[in-house]
Parts: sequence; structure tokens; C-alpha cells
Amino acid sequence: MLNRKILLLVLVAFISAGLSPALAVAQEKLIKIGALYPMTGRAGLYGLDSVDAAEMAVQEINASGGVAGYKLEFINTDSKAKPDYAVRVAKRFIDEEKVHFLFGVVSSAVGLALTEVSKQNKKIFIGTDHASTQLTVDKFQPYYFRVSNNTFQSMAAGALYLKELKQSKPWETVAYIGPDYAYGHDQWNELKYNLDRFGIKYKVVGEYWPKLFAPDYTPYITSILKDKPDVLICGLWGGDTVAFIKQATPYGLFEKTLFCSPDAGGNYEVMSATGGELPLGLVLSARHHNNWPETQANKDYVQKFFQRTGRYPTYAAEGAYAGILAIAEAVKKVGNPDDTEALVKALEGMKLSLPEDPEGFTSYIDPATHQIVQVQAIGVTVANDKFPPAKRMLGDWKVYKAEDLLPPKEYIEARRKQ
Amino acid sequence: MDMSFILVQILSGLTMATLLFLVASGLTLIFGVGNVFNFAHGSFYMLGAYLAYQAASVWHTNFWIATIVAALGAGVAGMLAEWLFLRRIYGRSEEGGFQILLTYSFILVIDDIVKLVWGTEYKSLLRPPGLTGSVQVFGVTTPTYNLAIIGIGLAVVVLAWLILSRTRPGKVARASALDREMLSAMGVNVPLTMTLVFGIATALGGFAGALAAPLRSVTPGAGIEVIIDSLIVVVIGGMGNFWGAWLGALILGEVMAFAVILVPEWAVVISYVVMVLTLIFKPEGLFAHSKVRKV
Repeated sequence: MLNRKILLLVLVAFISAGLSPALAVAQEKLIKIGALYPMTGRAGLYGLDSVDAAEMAVQEINASGGVAGYKLEFINTDSKAKPDYAVRVAKRFIDEEKVHFLFGVVSSAVGLALTEVSKQNKKIFIGTDHASTQLTVDKFQPYYFRVSNNTFQSMAAGALYLKELKQSKPWETVAYIGPDYAYGHDQWNELKYNLDRFGIKYKVVGEYWPKLFAPDYTPYITSILKDKPDVLICGLWGGDTVAFIKQATPYGLFEKTLFCSPDAGGNYEVMSATGGELPLGLVLSARHHNNWPETQANKDYVQKFFQRTGRYPTYAAEGAYAGILAIAEAVKKVGNPDDTEALVKALEGMKLSLPEDPEGFTSYIDPATHQIVQVQAIGVTVANDKFPPAKRMLGDWKVYKAEDLLPPKEYIEARRKQ
Repeated sequence: MDMSFILVQILSGLTMATLLFLVASGLTLIFGVGNVFNFAHGSFYMLGAYLAYQAASVWHTNFWIATIVAALGAGVAGMLAEWLFLRRIYGRSEEGGFQILLTYSFILVIDDIVKLVWGTEYKSLLRPPGLTGSVQVFGVTTPTYNLAIIGIGLAVVVLAWLILSRTRPGKVARASALDREMLSAMGVNVPLTMTLVFGIATALGGFAGALAAPLRSVTPGAGIEVIIDSLIVVVIGGMGNFWGAWLGALILGEVMAFAVILVPEWAVVISYVVMVLTLIFKPEGLFAHSKVRKV
């Protein structure tokens, strides 16, 4: 008798679990967002941060009643950071899950593959983290939008920083180290382009191309020491930056050369992983900072993320957060998530007030490239233990106006013709 | 290129080579002696790095105790994996394929365990006190920790060689690679030997992970990044040969150290070129013993 009861309970539980999503669909209208963040390996941290921040934004919006009578639904499938696999999942998202938006991705290689899927299926793809400029310039297509800075913007800011530096600390020679794939090569080309554009004289004394995720940089470090560059530009990211800094510190590299990593070097995980070992005075930046700007909006965002996850966010998180806000805003304007062409129009030129916006500036999406236009701040590492486990954060900020960082028209046209 | 720079670069290559060797040593042991290709060897390396982090940064033990904790932990995990799973597939007709599938699944499981226990944030370990600074070698600053690693690597290769060639357990272990049936007929507990050898191999991996941790970032997925290079070292050096692995690592490390300056854009493929050349001209490995055949 008892067994029968248990059996029945189990049955009921199974049936209701199976039915509840179906019931939910019947009851409310949904805006479906299909995301592809990596959840494993080295990029897994960025993926996890992105998913947490996106879910945070989704819950906030749904809690306040959703948009235009719709609730947001966010689904993520591990992209495994593999382009071919991500393409298959994206197609399933479109054909079976009937998503309204493709979303996410950390790797530019995955981004470049997905933008093709987006183009063929006329499905809007909101890019939140991958930084290769190709997506908004060379490989531009009308259904792609990016809500975080690309490498061109970071490198333009870096070049402006180096220009100002000439006044206080005259420098002549520069060397580069970056990963041997599109992201690493793009950064170096864009930095040189911007240095030339701003009329800065420099001499290249070394170029180094370790493979992505290389564990050991010792021979690179000793060779850079021999080059004696005044400035070392670094295009590594994440754990690679951490490993490079840890290995180079005892060689005294950072006393002999100015280390400058304007795209990803200042991401929070570099600070949290190196703690008190991070040398002072490194010139770094990132696409979002936990301690800049010191606006209420940024403080609230960082605290909310911390309360939710128990850790401070990397910049990947803010990109995903911005992406959800952009979708909500677009649907609000159009009134439904189905009219793709109207949504594209709504996103073009859209103003988005984001945690990383300083007082008096609002991020907006450039209609010509579908690239978000944002202010970038570059800082140097200073002692600061307000965001543990980090013991260094960036400070002594130099802030660069958003419009000064955009690629010039001729540059875009020339690249699109190729 | 002046002479002192060449010496400095040789030293850089040596540091890199020693870390390569330390990871590859366990792989070559289990490959050559246990006849098992452990695709998850890098994951035991990663596990060692995390255990060392746990001991040194969370429990605040001495760094060297942390490396022992890492070696023991990875060793026990390895023995469990062998005892619970691997031994079930020995002697199957397609054992090689099963080995790869099974040990590949270990990679996924260990990655997820590490993520559950320690999260995805990057972890970090400080260099041990006394080895944080640097000394002048050939007029160039060289970190003392790098020199210590080179010394430890040499100690491991000498010790392993002595144990394998001069002691009875070492000889038993080597014999198990050649003929498990004969060995058990002679009264040796072969399954136990296999478990122990597997444990020692993964302990070496864990030890390497702990030693490398202060120089690298400790992250999930770190295992996959080292396994390919280790495999190249084992292929170049000849399987099961510690001196071979050491020299193989040395060749790879030095080739990389100079490729970085001479052909920066091609440095990445050079290690594969070395492996391919070895496979073409001396497929059993540069330092392999002459083949022993069962009669």
C-alpha cells in the first residue's frame, strides 16, 4: 500500500515536471535568447560570469513585469569554444528552440562562425565579449550587433596613452607579445595603425607570437630583455597574462620596460589571480572596470553581481548584462520580438545607459558598424584591496573620449572592400 | 647575437625543458612501464596544482609540504582511477582504444570535480620564501626559483633511473611492461604492481603541477594544455625512458628557446616538426633501448 503511494507520488512529480514548461509557454509570451558561452576550460570563467550577469539582468527585467507583455527566457549551451560545434547548436537554437536572438560568445573564432549563421538565417546576433574588429568592419552583416568594445577601440586608447606618455617619459622603442591567432595579430596591427594615425614616432625592436594558452614564457622574457624595448605591448589575455607576469617579475622586466596591455590586461581575473604579486605601475585596461567609473550605477552593478555569485565580475559579465538590456530595449520599442527588420532598426543608434558609462556619457550603437561606442579608461596598477582576493586594482585613470577611438571612415571602407 | 645572450637563452630553454620533463616523466613511466597511455595525465598535473594551492594558500602550509600533499593526492587519485576503472579493461582485444576513451573521460571528470570544488576563478600560488628573488647568471638576472626547478628535475631523473635499474621494485615494474603473465607466474602480484606504478606516475604529474603552479595560472583546463607537449617529449625520448624523456624535453625546450628569436612566427610549429622528424627517422624514440622481443 505504502509502495503504491510512493509510486504515485513519483509519477505525479515526473508528470508535473514534464508539463510545467509547457504550461508556462501556454501562459506567457516569451522572448527567447539562445546563448553560446563556453563553460569549460580556461575561457570557462568568462562564460560563467557572462551567464550569471545575463541571468541577473533577465531576472531584474522579468521581476519588473517584463517588456511589452513578454518575459525574457535565457538559454545557454556550452559552446566548448569550438566554432563548428557552436554553429550546430546555433542552428538547433533557430530551428527547434525558435529563439529570437543569438547571444554571447567569448572567442572571436566562434563569433566569426556565428555571424555567418546569423546572416543566412536573418537572426539577430548580439555579440557581448569577443573583440575582433573584423566582426563589425570586414565581415560586417546587418544582423550582427556588438555591445562591448572591440580591439580597435582599445588599441586607439592605448596609442593615445602612449602619445601623452611621450611628454612625461620620452620613449622610442616598442616590442609586442601576443597570441598567435586573429585576436593577437589584430591588436598589433591596430596599435601600429593608430600610432601612425596620431603621428607618433616609434621603432619596433621585437615581435613575439606564443601560442594561445602557452604555459611557459621564459625564453620570450629573456629575449625581450635583450631587445630592451622602452614599451612592451602585450596582447595576451586571462591566464596567459597571469603566467607571463608571474614569470617575468623575478627577471625584473617590469622595472626595465613599461608594460602596456590596453585590451584585456586589466581584466579583474588578472588582479585576483596575482594578488600582491602584481607589480605596481603596469599600464592596463579592460572593457569594464569594477572600480571605474565611481558612479552609483557601476557600484550597484558590481555589488549585485557579488551578492549573487560571491565573486567580483570580469569584464565579460558587463558585456552580457548590456546585451540583455539592449534586447529588452529593442523589444520595448518594437512591441514584439518577431519583427527582425524593425528590431534591427531599433538597435541601430540605440542609447544604452550602462554600468561602465561615466557621468555625462551614454553608450550608443553606431548605425554604420553596429558597434557600441564607449568611453575607455586606462589605468596603472596601484595597491587596493577593496575587491579581494585582488590586492592591486587600476588607478590614476586616463579617460579617452568614445568618438576618438572609432576607426576612421576610410579604414572601414578599405577593409570592407577587401 | 652575443655569447652571453646565447647562454641566457640556453638557460631559459633549460627551465622550460625541466618543467616539460617533470610533467612528461609520469607519462613516460606509465606508458613505458605500465603500457597504459594515460590521456588524463595532464589532469593529474592540474589536480596537483589545485591541491598545492589548497595546502599552501588556504591551509597556509609550507610550500614544500604543499608539493608533497599534491603528489600524494594525485597519486591516491591515480591509484583509485586505476583500481576502480582501468584494470577492468586490461587484456581486452581493443585495449588501446578503450584506454584512450576511458582516460579521456577522466579528463572531463577531473575538470568538473576541480570546478565543483574550487570554482572557475584562476588560482595562484606564491613562490616559496627564499626562492622569490633572482641571481646574476652570465651577467643576466635569473630567478632562483627557475634554477631550483632545474635542479629538482635533474634529481628526479637520477632518482628514477636508480630506482628503475638498481632496485628490485624497479626491476619488477620494468618486467611488468614486458610480460605480465610471466611475472605473475613468478609470484609477483601484478595487479598491485600496476596500481602502484599508476599511482607513482600520477604522483609525478601532481608534483609537477605543484612546482609549476607558482609560475602559471591554476585554471580548469590546464591539463589539456600540457598533455600535447608532454606527449611530444615522450615520443622524442622513447617511451618508458627517464633519461630519454629528460633529453627529449631538453631538445624541445632549447629548440623552442631559439625558435622564439630566430623564427618568431614559426616558433609554435617547431615542436611538431621535431616530433615528425623523430617519427620518420627513429620512430621508437631517440633514446629508446634496443627492442626486446619475447621468444
